[in-house]
Amino acid sequence: MRKIHIRVAMVYITAAILFLIIRSFVVPPTFGEYDWYRGDSVREIMELPPQHANATVCKDCHSERYDLWSGGAHSTVSCESCHGPSYSHTKDPIIVSANVDNSREFCGLCHAQNPSRPADFPQIDMDTHGNGNLCVVCHNPHSPWVFGGE
Amino acid sequence: MSEILWEVLNHIEGFIYPNEVEVNWSVLIALYPYITGLVAGAFIVASLERVFKVEAVKPTYRLALLTALAFLLAAPLPLVAHLGHPERALEIMFTPHLTSAMAGFGFVYAWYLLIVLLLELGYDYRKDVVKWAQTATGFRGFLYRILTMGDYDISEETLKKDEKLVGIITVIGLPSAAFLHGYVGFIFGSVKANPWWSSPLMPIIFLFSAMVSGIALVLLIYMASTKLRGKEMDMECVDTLAGYLLYTYILDLGLEFMEIAHLLYTQEEGIDAILILINDKLFVSFIIIQIFFGTLIPITLLVLSKTGLFRAKVRKFFYISASLLTLIGVFAMRWNVVIGGQILSKTFRGYGYYIMPLFGPESLTLALAIMVLPFILLAIFVKLLPPWDEPPLWMKTERRYD
Ligand code: HEC
Ligand code: HEC
Ligand code: HEC
Ligand code: HEC
Repeated sequence: MRKIHIRVAMVYITAAILFLIIRSFVVPPTFGEYDWYRGDSVREIMELPPQHANATVCKDCHSERYDLWSGGAHSTVSCESCHGPSYSHTKDPIIVSANVDNSREFCGLCHAQNPSRPADFPQIDMDTHGNGNLCVVCHNPHSPWVFGGE
Repeated sequence: MSEILWEVLNHIEGFIYPNEVEVNWSVLIALYPYITGLVAGAFIVASLERVFKVEAVKPTYRLALLTALAFLLAAPLPLVAHLGHPERALEIMFTPHLTSAMAGFGFVYAWYLLIVLLLELGYDYRKDVVKWAQTATGFRGFLYRILTMGDYDISEETLKKDEKLVGIITVIGLPSAAFLHGYVGFIFGSVKANPWWSSPLMPIIFLFSAMVSGIALVLLIYMASTKLRGKEMDMECVDTLAGYLLYTYILDLGLEFMEIAHLLYTQEEGIDAILILINDKLFVSFIIIQIFFGTLIPITLLVLSKTGLFRAKVRKFFYISASLLTLIGVFAMRWNVVIGGQILSKTFRGYGYYIMPLFGPESLTLALAIMVLPFILLAIFVKLLPPWDEPPLWMKTERRYD
């Protein structure tokens, strides 16, 4: 074996070992525990405080709204789709209040006429429908075919 | 960015999906296969010269290798700039996903750079490096002495062994270079949903256009460098290289034609949209720049030079124009594949629009800067490892070649 070959081989082997050493530092130890990601990330995410409760929890305190809602056209829309993530509200309802948005634009997020929506989804012309009144003046948001506000 | 998207909205035609408004693969992604193509092309030129021992083109052998190295070092930059998180670039190597063609590229790239190109250059230059190490002083001398790795044995016998070794590396290198670039075409060719891309011919078309652009680049750099050094140009060499350019061009044209013919003949879903894409949306960059100026004119010029009717001076002019047009035309080809494939909506009922910003990320200036870099690298390499001092051993001839 000539000197040059041995030296070249040594350079490459050193580089490969260096690569493996760096790799052992950079790649998190729990990488690949479940799949192609850091296993710890699952546990870290599990530690995060929950943001959402769900409709059955809301029922404990808002049973009239719940009953109205569960029988109406919005029963497929979770309370928290409209009132925002409310887990902390259910723990401490007086201090943390849920969001309430009764604007026309808010209902329009889902109901404004838009060609990319499925044709059978109820859509309205935001400019003319309801003559510019707040939607909740006529529709009860919790059961939209119940008219006359709340 | 969002102002550009508003501007884009004014140019959109027909029906497209909401996520097609922004053309995510920008000019940088067109640049990337262009640069890897130049690498593969330059290397294939060098290898063919070596494998087939073509006497005439020997002045370009080392130049082509250095060109391949300079462009290879710049090849990942468009991707890194496009992704925008350089600190994460190596993660694809640290935790490679075996089902990812992109991760595969990391290893093909490393293999090609470290095993093929550096070793071939190292052993090919060994004799000269040893000689320079014995004479040069200062920083250069220091560098050469490191490059010798302490082995100053340049007896006839060891040099012969080196030659054999380089021969083996070249033979391994040829498929590696083909793979390095074929893979880029492979990535586009595997996008099943896009009829403008999805084709098993894609890797081969990419490869041949890579060879075309590589030969043109080496030809141009050779002509420019002899001019800059004030040397006489070796017309036999230039003529032979131009001949190669012509033959590869004809193959390339044949493949492109086959691809289009296949599209037209099978009349698959989306063919109407593709016809509009070609005839309207990409008319300038495809028909005019890529086909007419980038292919037909260079081929005509090369054929004219072959007729033997023209003096060396005229032929030189022909070659310069043909190579420049080729380099532009091949870039247009990358552009048409990358950008064209994205403005063709998956609805087949509409077209997006691409606006290239002048400054900022994913802009024209960034692309130009990345494109200039390999030339600077090449200048440095040529300074450190002059490719024209000594004819390599495998070309046993008395003729000086500059
Ligand atoms: C522990 C009982 C309790 C639970 C569970 C609860 N709430 Fe409440 N919620 C209240 C009380 C009490 C108020 C009145 C607070 C006030 O007037 O400041 C209230 C007020 C509200 C309001 C009106 C806020 C405002 O600013 O006017 C909304 C909206 C609301 N709750 C939504 C929800 C939703 C959605 C849920 C289920 C995720 C929920 N609540 C679960 C007790 C509860
Ligand atoms: C489609 C959206 C939507 C859904 C779904 C929805 N709400 Fe509401 N909710 C509203 C709107 C809008 C108001 C404000 C009504 C108004 O101002 O008259 C409101 C008002 C309320 C209020 C009274 C707040 C006040 O200031 O009067 C409570 C409590 C409430 N919602 C609870 C619930 C609960 C519990 C659910 C699930 C069972 C639910 N909501 C589901 C839109 C919704
Ligand atoms: C998160 C999206 C969302 C929001 C916000 C929303 N809706 Fe709805 N709405 C729905 C869905 C989903 C349905 C059920 C559609 C169906 O049955 O196909 C519905 C149904 C309705 C219907 C019955 C339409 C029919 O043809 O049966 C009315 C009326 C209505 N919503 C009014 C409103 C009003 C008023 C607001 C504002 C307070 C509002 N919606 C806000 C999603 C939403
Ligand atoms: C003046 C009272 C009034 C107001 C304000 C009003 N609506 Fe209505 N809305 C109606 C009536 C009445 C109907 C049923 C007849 C119809 O389809 O026009 C209806 C129907 C609808 C429907 C069902 C349409 C369909 O084709 O199934 C939707 C969805 C709806 N409204 C949403 C809204 C939204 C969102 C707003 C606020 C932007 C709003 N409405 C404001 C009275 C009103």
